[in-house]
Amino acid sequence: MPPFAPQTPSQEFSGALPAATSLRDRQRASAQSRRPAAGKRIRAGRALYLTVNIAVLIFLLAPIAIVVVFALNPTPFIQFPPVGVSLRWFQKFFAARDFMHALVFSLEVAMLTTACATLLGGCAALAIARGNLPGARIVLAVMLSPLMLPAILTGLALFQAYVLLDVGRPLWGLVAGHTLVTIPYVVRTTLAVLHNFDLRLEEAARNLGASPGRTFFEVTLPLVKPGVLAGAIFAFIVSFDQFPVSLFLVSPGNETLPITLFNYLKFDLDGTIGAASVVSILLAFLVVLALDRTVGLRAYVKL
Amino acid sequence: MAVARTNGLALLLLPSALLFALFFFVPIGLMAVMSLLTGNPVVAANVAFTARHYLRIVNDPYYLEVIWTTIRIGLWTTLISLLIGYPLAHWMARIRSRAGHAALLMAVLAPMLTGVVVRTFAWMALLSDKGVINQILASLGLTTKPVQLMYNETGIVVGLVHIYVPFMVLTLTGVIGRIDERLEQAAESLGASPLRSFLEVTLPLSLPGILAGSLLVFALSISAYVTPILLGGFQIMTLPILIYQQISANFNIGFAAALGMVLLLVSLLLIVAYNRVLGLVSGQHELQ
Repeated sequence: MPPFAPQTPSQEFSGALPAATSLRDRQRASAQSRRPAAGKRIRAGRALYLTVNIAVLIFLLAPIAIVVVFALNPTPFIQFPPVGVSLRWFQKFFAARDFMHALVFSLEVAMLTTACATLLGGCAALAIARGNLPGARIVLAVMLSPLMLPAILTGLALFQAYVLLDVGRPLWGLVAGHTLVTIPYVVRTTLAVLHNFDLRLEEAARNLGASPGRTFFEVTLPLVKPGVLAGAIFAFIVSFDQFPVSLFLVSPGNETLPITLFNYLKFDLDGTIGAASVVSILLAFLVVLALDRTVGLRAYVKL
Repeated sequence: MAVARTNGLALLLLPSALLFALFFFVPIGLMAVMSLLTGNPVVAANVAFTARHYLRIVNDPYYLEVIWTTIRIGLWTTLISLLIGYPLAHWMARIRSRAGHAALLMAVLAPMLTGVVVRTFAWMALLSDKGVINQILASLGLTTKPVQLMYNETGIVVGLVHIYVPFMVLTLTGVIGRIDERLEQAAESLGASPLRSFLEVTLPLSLPGILAGSLLVFALSISAYVTPILLGGFQIMTLPILIYQQISANFNIGFAAALGMVLLLVSLLLIVAYNRVLGLVSGQHELQ
Protein backbone atom coordinates (compact mmCIF):
# COMPACT_ATOMS: atom_id res chain seq x y z
CA MET A 1 0.00 0.00 0.00
CA PRO A 2 0.92 3.64 -0.40
CA PRO A 3 3.73 4.81 1.77
CA PHE A 4 6.49 2.37 1.33
CA ALA A 5 9.63 2.17 -0.68
CA PRO A 6 11.68 4.82 1.05
CA GLN A 7 14.25 5.28 -1.67
CA THR A 8 12.39 7.78 -3.79
CA PRO A 9 13.32 11.33 -2.90
CA SER A 10 10.50 13.82 -2.71
CA GLN A 11 9.49 15.65 -5.80
CA GLU A 12 6.80 17.88 -7.17
CA PHE A 13 4.68 16.47 -9.94
CA SER A 14 2.48 19.31 -10.94
CA GLY A 15 4.97 22.07 -10.45
CA ALA A 16 5.92 21.68 -14.12
CA LEU A 17 7.16 24.94 -15.48
CA PRO A 18 4.61 26.99 -17.41
CA ALA A 19 7.44 28.40 -19.50
CA ALA A 20 8.42 24.92 -20.62
CA THR A 21 4.80 24.22 -21.52
CA SER A 22 4.47 27.14 -23.79
CA LEU A 23 7.86 26.43 -25.35
CA ARG A 24 6.79 22.90 -26.04
CA ASP A 25 3.48 24.02 -27.49
CA ARG A 26 5.22 26.48 -29.75
CA GLN A 27 7.59 23.79 -30.98
CA ARG A 28 4.72 21.46 -31.62
CA ALA A 29 2.75 24.17 -33.40
CA SER A 30 5.68 24.98 -35.65
CA ALA A 31 6.31 21.29 -36.35
CA GLN A 32 2.67 20.92 -37.29
CA SER A 33 2.67 23.88 -39.59
CA ARG A 34 5.74 22.48 -41.33
CA ARG A 35 4.41 18.97 -41.75
CA PRO A 36 0.62 18.67 -41.65
CA ALA A 37 0.75 14.87 -41.99
CA ALA A 38 3.00 14.58 -38.95
CA GLY A 39 0.64 16.87 -37.03
CA LYS A 40 -2.27 14.58 -37.80
CA ARG A 41 -0.28 11.57 -36.64
CA ILE A 42 0.60 13.35 -33.40
CA ARG A 43 -3.06 14.19 -32.78
CA ALA A 44 -4.05 10.57 -33.45
CA GLY A 45 -1.33 9.40 -31.06
CA ARG A 46 -2.58 11.81 -28.42
CA ALA A 47 -6.14 10.50 -28.84
CA LEU A 48 -4.94 6.91 -28.53
CA TYR A 49 -2.98 7.80 -25.38
CA LEU A 50 -6.07 9.31 -23.76
CA THR A 51 -8.31 6.43 -24.85
CA VAL A 52 -5.99 3.84 -23.36
CA ASN A 53 -5.74 5.77 -20.11
CA ILE A 54 -9.47 6.24 -19.79
CA ALA A 55 -9.97 2.53 -20.44
CA VAL A 56 -7.52 1.75 -17.62
CA LEU A 57 -9.35 4.13 -15.29
CA ILE A 58 -12.64 2.42 -16.12
CA PHE A 59 -11.04 -0.94 -15.42
CA LEU A 60 -9.89 0.37 -12.03
CA LEU A 61 -13.13 2.00 -10.95
CA ALA A 62 -15.95 0.02 -12.61
CA PRO A 63 -15.74 -2.96 -10.21
CA ILE A 64 -16.22 -0.63 -7.26
CA ALA A 65 -19.22 0.96 -8.95
CA ILE A 66 -20.64 -2.52 -9.65
CA VAL A 67 -20.49 -3.36 -5.95
CA VAL A 68 -22.53 -0.26 -5.12
CA VAL A 69 -25.08 -1.00 -7.85
CA PHE A 70 -25.39 -4.58 -6.65
CA ALA A 71 -25.90 -3.49 -3.04
CA LEU A 72 -28.79 -1.19 -4.04
CA ASN A 73 -30.44 -3.57 -6.50
CA PRO A 74 -33.42 -5.33 -4.87
CA THR A 75 -33.09 -8.70 -6.67
CA PRO A 76 -31.35 -11.53 -4.78
CA PHE A 77 -29.07 -12.27 -7.71
CA ILE A 78 -26.86 -10.16 -9.91
CA GLN A 79 -28.99 -8.34 -12.41
CA PHE A 80 -27.80 -5.98 -15.05
CA PRO A 81 -29.05 -3.40 -15.82
CA PRO A 82 -30.37 -2.89 -12.26
CA VAL A 83 -34.14 -2.91 -11.78
CA GLY A 84 -34.50 -0.50 -8.89
CA VAL A 85 -33.14 0.92 -5.69
CA SER A 86 -33.74 -0.57 -2.29
CA LEU A 87 -32.04 -0.72 1.04
CA ARG A 88 -33.16 -4.28 1.86
CA TRP A 89 -29.63 -5.69 1.68
CA PHE A 90 -28.41 -3.03 4.06
CA GLN A 91 -31.27 -3.92 6.40
CA LYS A 92 -30.35 -7.59 6.12
CA PHE A 93 -26.68 -6.80 6.74
CA PHE A 94 -27.34 -4.68 9.82
CA ALA A 95 -29.83 -7.25 11.13
CA ALA A 96 -27.48 -10.23 10.68
CA ARG A 97 -25.87 -11.07 14.00
CA ASP A 98 -22.73 -12.68 12.59
CA PHE A 99 -22.01 -9.69 10.32
CA MET A 100 -22.61 -7.20 13.12
CA HIS A 101 -20.45 -9.19 15.49
CA ALA A 102 -17.68 -9.30 12.87
CA LEU A 103 -18.01 -5.58 12.14
CA VAL A 104 -17.73 -4.65 15.81
CA PHE A 105 -14.86 -7.09 16.34
CA SER A 106 -13.03 -5.70 13.28
CA LEU A 107 -13.41 -2.14 14.56
CA GLU A 108 -12.15 -3.24 17.96
CA VAL A 109 -9.09 -4.97 16.48
CA ALA A 110 -8.43 -2.02 14.15
CA MET A 111 -8.58 0.46 17.02
CA LEU A 112 -6.32 -1.57 19.29
CA THR A 113 -3.92 -2.12 16.38
CA THR A 114 -3.91 1.58 15.49
CA ALA A 115 -3.10 2.51 19.08
CA CYS A 116 -0.23 0.01 19.33
CA ALA A 117 1.19 0.66 15.86
CA THR A 118 1.03 4.45 16.27
CA LEU A 119 2.74 4.44 19.64
CA LEU A 120 5.43 1.89 18.76
CA GLY A 121 5.95 3.11 15.19
CA GLY A 122 6.05 6.79 16.14
CA CYS A 123 8.64 6.11 18.86
CA ALA A 124 10.69 3.92 16.53
CA ALA A 125 10.68 6.62 13.84
CA LEU A 126 11.95 9.19 16.34
CA ALA A 127 14.68 6.80 17.46
CA ILE A 128 15.71 6.12 13.86
CA ALA A 129 15.74 9.78 12.84
CA ARG A 130 17.21 11.31 16.01
CA GLY A 131 18.80 8.56 18.08
CA ASN A 132 22.07 8.46 16.10
CA LEU A 133 21.69 4.71 16.06
CA PRO A 134 24.48 2.69 14.56
CA GLY A 135 23.08 0.86 11.55
CA ALA A 136 19.92 2.98 11.38
CA ARG A 137 19.45 1.99 7.73
CA ILE A 138 19.30 -1.69 8.62
CA VAL A 139 16.92 -0.99 11.50
CA LEU A 140 14.68 0.90 9.07
CA ALA A 141 14.82 -1.90 6.49
CA VAL A 142 13.78 -4.40 9.16
CA MET A 143 10.93 -2.18 10.37
CA LEU A 144 9.62 -1.87 6.80
CA SER A 145 10.09 -5.52 5.90
CA PRO A 146 6.57 -6.73 6.87
CA LEU A 147 5.29 -4.65 3.93
CA MET A 148 6.96 -6.76 1.29
CA LEU A 149 7.20 -10.10 2.99
CA PRO A 150 4.01 -12.02 2.23
CA ALA A 151 1.60 -11.34 5.10
CA ILE A 152 0.45 -14.92 4.77
CA LEU A 153 3.90 -15.94 6.06
CA THR A 154 3.60 -13.61 9.05
CA GLY A 155 0.26 -15.28 9.77
CA LEU A 156 1.64 -18.79 9.32
CA ALA A 157 4.72 -18.14 11.49
CA LEU A 158 2.66 -16.59 14.30
CA PHE A 159 0.11 -19.39 14.09
CA GLN A 160 2.85 -22.00 14.48
CA ALA A 161 4.43 -20.10 17.37
CA TYR A 162 1.08 -19.89 19.18
CA VAL A 163 0.48 -23.61 18.59
CA LEU A 164 3.94 -24.53 19.89
CA LEU A 165 3.52 -22.33 22.95
CA ASP A 166 -0.02 -23.63 23.38
CA VAL A 167 -1.53 -20.18 23.96
CA GLY A 168 -4.63 -20.72 21.83
CA ARG A 169 -5.81 -17.88 19.60
CA PRO A 170 -6.06 -14.88 21.91
CA LEU A 171 -7.08 -11.35 20.93
CA TRP A 172 -3.62 -10.00 21.82
CA GLY A 173 -2.11 -12.50 19.41
CA LEU A 174 -4.25 -11.17 16.57
CA VAL A 175 -3.54 -7.54 17.50
CA ALA A 176 0.21 -8.29 17.65
CA GLY A 177 0.05 -9.73 14.14
CA HIS A 178 -1.88 -6.73 12.84
CA THR A 179 0.49 -4.32 14.60
CA LEU A 180 3.42 -5.98 12.89
CA VAL A 181 1.99 -5.43 9.41
CA THR A 182 0.79 -1.85 10.12
CA ILE A 183 3.86 -0.45 11.94
CA PRO A 184 5.72 0.17 8.64
CA TYR A 185 3.06 2.69 7.55
CA VAL A 186 3.44 4.72 10.74
CA VAL A 187 7.25 4.58 10.55
CA ARG A 188 7.19 5.71 6.90
CA THR A 189 4.84 8.67 7.35
CA THR A 190 6.48 9.83 10.59
CA LEU A 191 9.97 9.61 9.09
CA ALA A 192 8.78 11.55 6.03
CA VAL A 193 7.85 14.43 8.33
CA LEU A 194 10.98 14.13 10.47
CA HIS A 195 13.21 14.30 7.40
CA ASN A 196 11.66 17.58 6.28
CA PHE A 197 11.91 18.94 9.78
CA ASP A 198 13.91 22.13 10.34
CA LEU A 199 16.23 21.29 13.21
CA ARG A 200 16.83 24.99 13.80
CA LEU A 201 13.33 25.25 15.30
CA GLU A 202 14.41 22.99 18.12
CA GLU A 203 17.71 24.81 18.47
CA ALA A 204 15.85 28.12 18.71
CA ALA A 205 13.62 26.76 21.48
CA ARG A 206 16.65 25.49 23.35
CA ASN A 207 18.52 28.76 22.92
CA LEU A 208 15.53 30.63 24.28
CA GLY A 209 15.83 28.60 27.43
CA ALA A 210 13.37 25.71 26.97
CA SER A 211 14.33 22.42 28.61
CA PRO A 212 14.82 19.39 26.31
CA GLY A 213 11.52 17.99 27.56
CA ARG A 214 9.63 21.20 26.91
CA THR A 215 11.24 21.52 23.46
CA PHE A 216 10.09 18.01 22.65
CA PHE A 217 6.50 18.50 23.75
CA GLU A 218 6.02 22.05 22.48
CA VAL A 219 8.07 22.05 19.27
CA THR A 220 8.92 18.54 18.05
CA LEU A 221 5.66 16.78 18.82
CA PRO A 222 3.25 19.32 17.25
CA LEU A 223 5.39 19.41 14.10
CA VAL A 224 5.54 15.62 13.79
CA LYS A 225 1.83 15.17 14.50
CA PRO A 226 0.60 15.20 10.86
CA GLY A 227 2.93 12.35 9.93
CA VAL A 228 1.94 10.27 12.93
CA LEU A 229 -1.72 10.98 12.25
CA ALA A 230 -1.42 9.93 8.61
CA GLY A 231 0.32 6.74 9.70
CA ALA A 232 -2.42 6.04 12.24
CA ILE A 233 -5.10 6.40 9.58
CA PHE A 234 -3.28 4.05 7.20
CA ALA A 235 -2.79 1.60 10.07
CA PHE A 236 -6.53 1.67 10.79
CA ILE A 237 -7.53 1.01 7.17
CA VAL A 238 -4.93 -1.70 6.64
CA SER A 239 -5.92 -3.45 9.86
CA PHE A 240 -9.64 -3.17 9.05
CA ASP A 241 -9.09 -4.77 5.61
CA GLN A 242 -6.36 -7.17 6.71
CA PHE A 243 -6.94 -10.71 5.51
CA PRO A 244 -3.96 -13.13 5.44
CA VAL A 245 -2.77 -12.59 9.03
CA SER A 246 -6.34 -12.81 10.35
CA LEU A 247 -6.96 -15.98 8.34
CA PHE A 248 -4.49 -17.85 10.55
CA LEU A 249 -5.11 -16.08 13.84
CA VAL A 250 -8.86 -15.60 14.30
CA SER A 251 -10.75 -18.05 16.46
CA PRO A 252 -14.10 -19.48 15.35
CA GLY A 253 -16.91 -17.22 16.54
CA ASN A 254 -14.53 -14.27 16.80
CA GLU A 255 -13.87 -13.45 13.18
CA THR A 256 -13.04 -10.14 11.56
CA LEU A 257 -15.32 -8.73 8.85
CA PRO A 258 -13.08 -9.68 5.87
CA ILE A 259 -12.95 -13.29 7.12
CA THR A 260 -16.72 -13.42 7.62
CA LEU A 261 -17.26 -11.94 4.14
CA PHE A 262 -14.85 -14.49 2.67
CA ASN A 263 -16.63 -17.41 4.34
CA TYR A 264 -20.00 -16.07 3.15
CA LEU A 265 -18.68 -15.59 -0.40
CA LYS A 266 -17.68 -19.23 -0.63
CA PHE A 267 -21.34 -20.22 -0.67
CA ASP A 268 -23.47 -17.21 -1.39
CA LEU A 269 -23.39 -14.28 -3.75
CA ASP A 270 -26.37 -12.14 -2.79
CA GLY A 271 -26.75 -8.42 -2.11
CA THR A 272 -25.82 -8.71 1.57
CA ILE A 273 -22.19 -9.03 0.52
CA GLY A 274 -22.65 -5.92 -1.61
CA ALA A 275 -24.08 -4.01 1.33
CA ALA A 276 -21.26 -5.19 3.60
CA SER A 277 -18.75 -4.13 0.95
CA VAL A 278 -20.32 -0.69 0.59
CA VAL A 279 -20.20 -0.21 4.35
CA SER A 280 -16.50 -1.06 4.48
CA ILE A 281 -15.74 1.08 1.40
CA LEU A 282 -17.57 4.04 2.97
CA LEU A 283 -15.68 3.57 6.19
CA ALA A 284 -12.33 3.62 4.36
CA PHE A 285 -13.37 6.70 2.37
CA LEU A 286 -14.46 8.58 5.47
CA VAL A 287 -11.11 7.83 7.03
CA VAL A 288 -9.21 8.91 3.90
CA LEU A 289 -11.28 12.07 3.63
CA ALA A 290 -10.33 12.84 7.22
CA LEU A 291 -6.71 12.22 6.28
CA ASP A 292 -6.89 14.53 3.29
CA ARG A 293 -8.60 17.25 5.33
CA THR A 294 -6.11 17.09 8.16
CA VAL A 295 -2.74 16.54 6.53
CA GLY A 296 -3.19 16.21 2.77
CA LEU A 297 -2.67 13.04 0.76
CA ARG A 298 0.06 13.87 -1.68
CA ALA A 299 2.98 13.74 0.70
CA TYR A 300 2.29 10.18 1.78
CA VAL A 301 1.74 8.23 -1.38
CA LYS A 302 5.17 8.35 -2.89
CA LEU A 303 6.54 5.02 -3.93
CA MET B 1 23.41 20.43 17.54
CA ALA B 2 23.51 16.88 16.20
CA VAL B 3 25.83 14.81 18.35
CA ALA B 4 27.49 11.92 16.60
CA ARG B 5 26.76 9.35 19.27
CA THR B 6 23.73 7.39 20.32
CA ASN B 7 21.49 9.44 22.59
CA GLY B 8 18.51 8.84 24.83
CA LEU B 9 16.01 8.92 21.97
CA ALA B 10 17.48 5.65 20.72
CA LEU B 11 15.81 3.95 23.68
CA LEU B 12 12.45 4.68 22.04
CA LEU B 13 13.25 1.90 19.60
CA LEU B 14 13.11 -0.72 22.34
CA PRO B 15 9.34 -1.43 22.36
CA SER B 16 9.30 -1.99 18.59
CA ALA B 17 12.47 -4.05 18.76
CA LEU B 18 10.84 -6.24 21.37
CA LEU B 19 7.69 -6.65 19.25
CA PHE B 20 9.71 -7.58 16.18
CA ALA B 21 11.89 -10.00 18.13
CA LEU B 22 9.01 -11.79 19.85
CA PHE B 23 6.37 -11.71 17.12
CA PHE B 24 8.43 -11.71 13.94
CA PHE B 25 11.93 -13.13 14.21
CA VAL B 26 11.22 -15.82 16.80
CA PRO B 27 8.14 -17.12 14.92
CA ILE B 28 9.95 -17.13 11.57
CA GLY B 29 12.89 -18.88 13.23
CA LEU B 30 10.50 -21.41 14.71
CA MET B 31 9.00 -21.94 11.26
CA ALA B 32 12.46 -22.64 9.87
CA VAL B 33 13.09 -25.17 12.66
CA MET B 34 9.66 -26.78 12.28
CA SER B 35 10.28 -27.30 8.58
CA LEU B 36 13.21 -29.53 9.54
CA LEU B 37 11.54 -31.57 12.30
CA THR B 38 9.66 -34.86 12.04
CA GLY B 39 6.90 -33.68 14.37
CA ASN B 40 5.71 -31.15 16.92
CA PRO B 41 8.32 -31.23 19.74
CA VAL B 42 5.77 -30.01 22.29
CA VAL B 43 3.35 -32.89 21.97
CA ALA B 44 5.34 -35.69 20.33
CA ALA B 45 8.26 -37.65 21.75
CA ASN B 46 11.32 -38.67 19.71
CA VAL B 47 11.34 -35.73 17.38
CA ALA B 48 14.33 -35.74 15.06
CA PHE B 49 15.73 -33.50 12.36
CA THR B 50 14.77 -34.45 8.83
CA ALA B 51 14.83 -33.07 5.31
CA ARG B 52 11.79 -35.08 4.28
CA HIS B 53 9.41 -32.10 3.97
CA TYR B 54 11.72 -30.45 1.46
CA LEU B 55 12.38 -33.74 -0.35
CA ARG B 56 8.61 -34.21 -0.65
CA ILE B 57 8.30 -30.83 -2.38
CA VAL B 58 11.17 -31.55 -4.76
CA ASN B 59 10.27 -35.16 -5.56
CA ASP B 60 6.53 -34.86 -6.07
CA PRO B 61 5.65 -33.38 -9.48
CA TYR B 62 2.33 -32.18 -8.02
CA TYR B 63 4.04 -29.70 -5.70
CA LEU B 64 6.41 -28.51 -8.42
CA GLU B 65 3.34 -27.99 -10.62
CA VAL B 66 1.73 -25.91 -7.84
CA ILE B 67 4.86 -23.75 -7.56
CA TRP B 68 4.97 -23.34 -11.34
CA THR B 69 1.26 -22.36 -11.46
CA THR B 70 1.92 -19.75 -8.77
CA ILE B 71 4.86 -18.34 -10.70
CA ARG B 72 2.96 -18.43 -14.03
CA ILE B 73 0.03 -16.49 -12.55
CA GLY B 74 2.52 -14.05 -11.00
CA LEU B 75 4.28 -13.50 -14.34
CA TRP B 76 1.07 -12.86 -16.28
CA THR B 77 -0.18 -10.51 -13.57
CA THR B 78 3.10 -8.60 -13.64
CA LEU B 79 3.21 -8.33 -17.43
CA ILE B 80 -0.38 -7.10 -17.78
CA SER B 81 -0.03 -4.72 -14.83
CA LEU B 82 3.00 -3.23 -16.52
CA LEU B 83 1.28 -2.87 -19.91
CA ILE B 84 -1.81 -1.14 -18.54
CA GLY B 85 -0.07 0.62 -15.65
CA TYR B 86 2.61 2.36 -17.70
CA PRO B 87 0.34 4.70 -19.70
CA LEU B 88 -1.53 5.74 -16.57
CA ALA B 89 1.70 6.30 -14.63
CA HIS B 90 3.05 8.38 -17.51
CA TRP B 91 -0.09 10.48 -17.57
CA MET B 92 0.07 10.98 -13.81
CA ALA B 93 3.71 12.01 -13.94
CA ARG B 94 3.22 14.45 -16.83
CA ILE B 95 -0.23 15.93 -16.23
CA ARG B 96 0.11 19.64 -15.60
CA SER B 97 -3.02 20.57 -13.69
CA ARG B 98 -2.91 20.06 -9.95
CA ALA B 99 -6.58 19.07 -9.82
CA GLY B 100 -6.06 16.56 -12.63
CA HIS B 101 -3.21 14.98 -10.75
CA ALA B 102 -5.25 14.79 -7.54
CA ALA B 103 -8.15 13.17 -9.42
CA LEU B 104 -5.87 10.54 -10.99
CA LEU B 105 -4.28 9.88 -7.63
CA MET B 106 -7.69 9.35 -6.05
CA ALA B 107 -8.68 7.00 -8.89
CA VAL B 108 -5.56 4.91 -8.26
CA LEU B 109 -5.89 4.98 -4.49
CA ALA B 110 -9.63 4.22 -4.33
CA PRO B 111 -9.21 0.55 -5.32
CA MET B 112 -6.23 0.24 -2.99
CA LEU B 113 -8.34 1.35 -0.06
CA THR B 114 -11.03 -1.20 -0.84
CA GLY B 115 -10.43 -4.52 0.85
CA VAL B 116 -9.14 -7.52 -1.11
CA VAL B 117 -12.24 -9.56 -0.32
CA VAL B 118 -14.54 -6.79 -1.52
CA ARG B 119 -12.66 -6.37 -4.78
CA THR B 120 -12.60 -10.10 -5.41
CA PHE B 121 -16.35 -10.13 -4.82
CA ALA B 122 -16.72 -7.34 -7.38
CA TRP B 123 -14.90 -9.46 -9.97
CA MET B 124 -17.04 -12.47 -9.13
CA ALA B 125 -20.13 -10.31 -9.77
CA LEU B 126 -18.62 -9.25 -13.10
CA LEU B 127 -17.18 -12.52 -14.36
CA SER B 128 -19.43 -15.31 -13.07
CA ASP B 129 -21.69 -17.31 -15.41
CA LYS B 130 -24.65 -15.15 -14.38
CA GLY B 131 -22.48 -12.09 -13.90
CA VAL B 132 -22.70 -8.65 -15.43
CA ILE B 133 -20.52 -9.37 -18.46
CA ASN B 134 -22.34 -12.57 -19.40
CA GLN B 135 -25.73 -10.87 -18.94
CA ILE B 136 -24.69 -8.04 -21.23
CA LEU B 137 -23.34 -10.46 -23.84
CA ALA B 138 -26.55 -12.51 -23.71
CA SER B 139 -28.87 -9.49 -23.90
CA LEU B 140 -26.99 -8.25 -26.94
CA GLY B 141 -27.55 -11.67 -28.47
CA LEU B 142 -23.84 -12.25 -28.88
CA THR B 143 -23.80 -15.48 -26.87
CA THR B 144 -26.37 -18.18 -26.23
CA LYS B 145 -24.67 -19.82 -23.28
CA PRO B 146 -22.43 -18.21 -20.64
CA VAL B 147 -18.78 -17.71 -21.50
CA GLN B 148 -16.59 -19.09 -18.75
CA LEU B 149 -14.66 -16.05 -17.54
CA MET B 150 -13.73 -17.25 -14.08
CA TYR B 151 -12.85 -20.53 -12.37
CA ASN B 152 -9.72 -20.49 -14.49
CA GLU B 153 -6.34 -18.79 -14.48
CA THR B 154 -7.54 -15.96 -16.71
CA GLY B 155 -10.10 -14.93 -14.09
CA ILE B 156 -7.46 -15.04 -11.37
CA VAL B 157 -5.06 -12.92 -13.40
CA VAL B 158 -7.77 -10.31 -14.14
CA GLY B 159 -8.60 -10.03 -10.44
CA LEU B 160 -4.95 -9.87 -9.39
CA VAL B 161 -4.13 -7.22 -12.00
CA HIS B 162 -6.92 -5.06 -10.63
CA ILE B 163 -5.59 -5.46 -7.10
CA TYR B 164 -1.91 -4.86 -7.83
CA VAL B 165 -1.84 -2.43 -10.77
CA PRO B 166 -2.00 0.58 -8.38
CA PHE B 167 1.34 -0.52 -6.88
CA MET B 168 2.82 -0.59 -10.39
CA VAL B 169 1.39 2.84 -11.23
CA LEU B 170 2.69 4.49 -8.06
CA THR B 171 6.18 3.01 -8.47
CA LEU B 172 6.39 4.00 -12.14
CA THR B 173 5.01 7.51 -11.56
CA GLY B 174 7.80 8.22 -9.10
CA VAL B 175 10.49 7.19 -11.58
CA ILE B 176 8.93 8.79 -14.70
CA GLY B 177 8.32 12.01 -12.78
CA ARG B 178 12.03 12.27 -12.10
CA ILE B 179 13.04 12.06 -15.77
CA ASP B 180 13.99 15.54 -16.90
CA GLU B 181 11.32 16.67 -19.37
CA ARG B 182 13.87 18.84 -21.15
CA LEU B 183 15.48 15.66 -22.50
CA GLU B 184 12.24 14.80 -24.33
CA GLN B 185 11.87 18.39 -25.49
CA ALA B 186 15.41 18.34 -26.82
CA ALA B 187 14.70 15.16 -28.77
CA GLU B 188 11.52 16.64 -30.21
CA SER B 189 13.08 19.94 -31.17
CA LEU B 190 15.77 17.97 -32.97
CA GLY B 191 13.00 16.50 -35.11
CA ALA B 192 11.99 13.29 -33.31
CA SER B 193 8.29 12.51 -33.22
CA PRO B 194 6.70 12.28 -29.74
CA LEU B 195 6.55 8.50 -30.17
CA ARG B 196 10.21 8.28 -31.08
CA SER B 197 11.28 10.57 -28.25
CA PHE B 198 9.24 8.39 -25.89
CA LEU B 199 10.77 5.16 -27.21
CA GLU B 200 14.34 6.42 -27.27
CA VAL B 201 14.44 8.78 -24.29
CA THR B 202 11.65 8.25 -21.76
CA LEU B 203 11.27 4.48 -21.96
CA PRO B 204 14.96 3.61 -21.46
CA LEU B 205 15.24 6.10 -18.60
CA SER B 206 12.23 4.60 -16.86
CA LEU B 207 13.65 1.07 -17.03
CA PRO B 208 14.55 0.99 -13.30
CA GLY B 209 10.93 1.87 -12.46
CA ILE B 210 9.69 -0.88 -14.75
CA LEU B 211 11.96 -3.36 -13.00
CA ALA B 212 11.10 -2.20 -9.47
CA GLY B 213 7.35 -2.12 -10.14
CA SER B 214 7.47 -5.56 -11.75
CA LEU B 215 9.37 -7.10 -8.83
CA LEU B 216 6.89 -5.56 -6.39
CA VAL B 217 3.80 -6.76 -8.26
CA PHE B 218 5.30 -10.21 -8.76
CA ALA B 219 6.17 -10.53 -5.05
CA LEU B 220 2.65 -9.48 -4.07
CA SER B 221 0.81 -11.65 -6.57
CA ILE B 222 2.63 -14.91 -5.74
CA SER B 223 1.58 -14.50 -2.11
CA ALA B 224 -2.09 -13.74 -2.82
CA TYR B 225 -4.66 -16.04 -1.26
CA VAL B 226 -8.22 -14.68 -1.50
CA THR B 227 -8.31 -13.87 -5.20
CA PRO B 228 -6.85 -17.17 -6.49
CA ILE B 229 -9.10 -19.27 -4.29
CA LEU B 230 -12.38 -17.43 -5.03
CA LEU B 231 -11.84 -16.58 -8.70
CA GLY B 232 -10.25 -19.99 -9.24
CA GLY B 233 -13.34 -21.56 -7.69
CA PHE B 234 -11.22 -23.86 -5.47
CA GLN B 235 -10.05 -25.54 -8.68
CA ILE B 236 -6.61 -24.02 -9.06
CA MET B 237 -3.92 -24.64 -6.50
CA THR B 238 -1.28 -22.02 -5.73
CA LEU B 239 1.42 -22.00 -3.05
CA PRO B 240 -0.45 -19.85 -0.49
CA ILE B 241 -3.61 -21.93 -0.95
CA LEU B 242 -1.59 -25.11 -0.48
CA ILE B 243 0.04 -23.72 2.67
CA TYR B 244 -3.30 -22.88 4.24
CA GLN B 245 -4.75 -26.21 3.21
CA GLN B 246 -1.88 -28.04 4.94
CA ILE B 247 -2.77 -26.19 8.15
CA SER B 248 -6.57 -26.24 8.00
CA ALA B 249 -7.29 -29.62 6.44
CA ASN B 250 -4.23 -31.79 7.05
CA PHE B 251 -2.77 -30.06 10.12
CA ASN B 252 0.67 -30.89 8.73
CA ILE B 253 2.60 -28.05 10.36
CA GLY B 254 6.04 -29.28 9.32
CA PHE B 255 5.14 -29.49 5.65
CA ALA B 256 3.33 -26.14 5.77
CA ALA B 257 6.49 -24.67 7.31
CA ALA B 258 8.65 -26.10 4.52
CA LEU B 259 6.30 -24.62 1.88
CA GLY B 260 6.39 -21.35 3.82
CA MET B 261 10.19 -21.38 3.71
CA VAL B 262 10.09 -21.79 -0.08
CA LEU B 263 7.79 -18.76 -0.39
CA LEU B 264 9.98 -16.83 2.08
CA LEU B 265 13.13 -17.56 0.09
CA VAL B 266 11.58 -16.43 -3.19
CA SER B 267 10.19 -13.28 -1.57
CA LEU B 268 13.49 -12.38 0.08
CA LEU B 269 15.30 -12.67 -3.24
CA LEU B 270 12.70 -10.40 -4.85
CA ILE B 271 12.93 -7.85 -2.02
CA VAL B 272 16.72 -7.66 -2.24
CA ALA B 273 16.48 -7.16 -5.99
CA TYR B 274 13.76 -4.51 -5.58
CA ASN B 275 15.79 -2.55 -3.04
CA ARG B 276 18.91 -2.71 -5.19
CA VAL B 277 17.05 -1.44 -8.23
CA LEU B 278 15.41 1.46 -6.40
CA GLY B 279 18.67 2.17 -4.57
CA LEU B 280 20.34 2.50 -7.95
CA VAL B 281 17.73 4.99 -9.13
CA SER B 282 18.02 7.28 -6.12
CA GLY B 283 21.81 6.91 -6.23
CA GLN B 284 21.85 8.17 -9.81
CA HIS B 285 19.55 10.98 -8.84
CA GLU B 286 21.89 12.17 -6.13
CA LEU B 287 24.80 12.18 -8.53
CA GLN B 288 23.08 14.44 -11.04
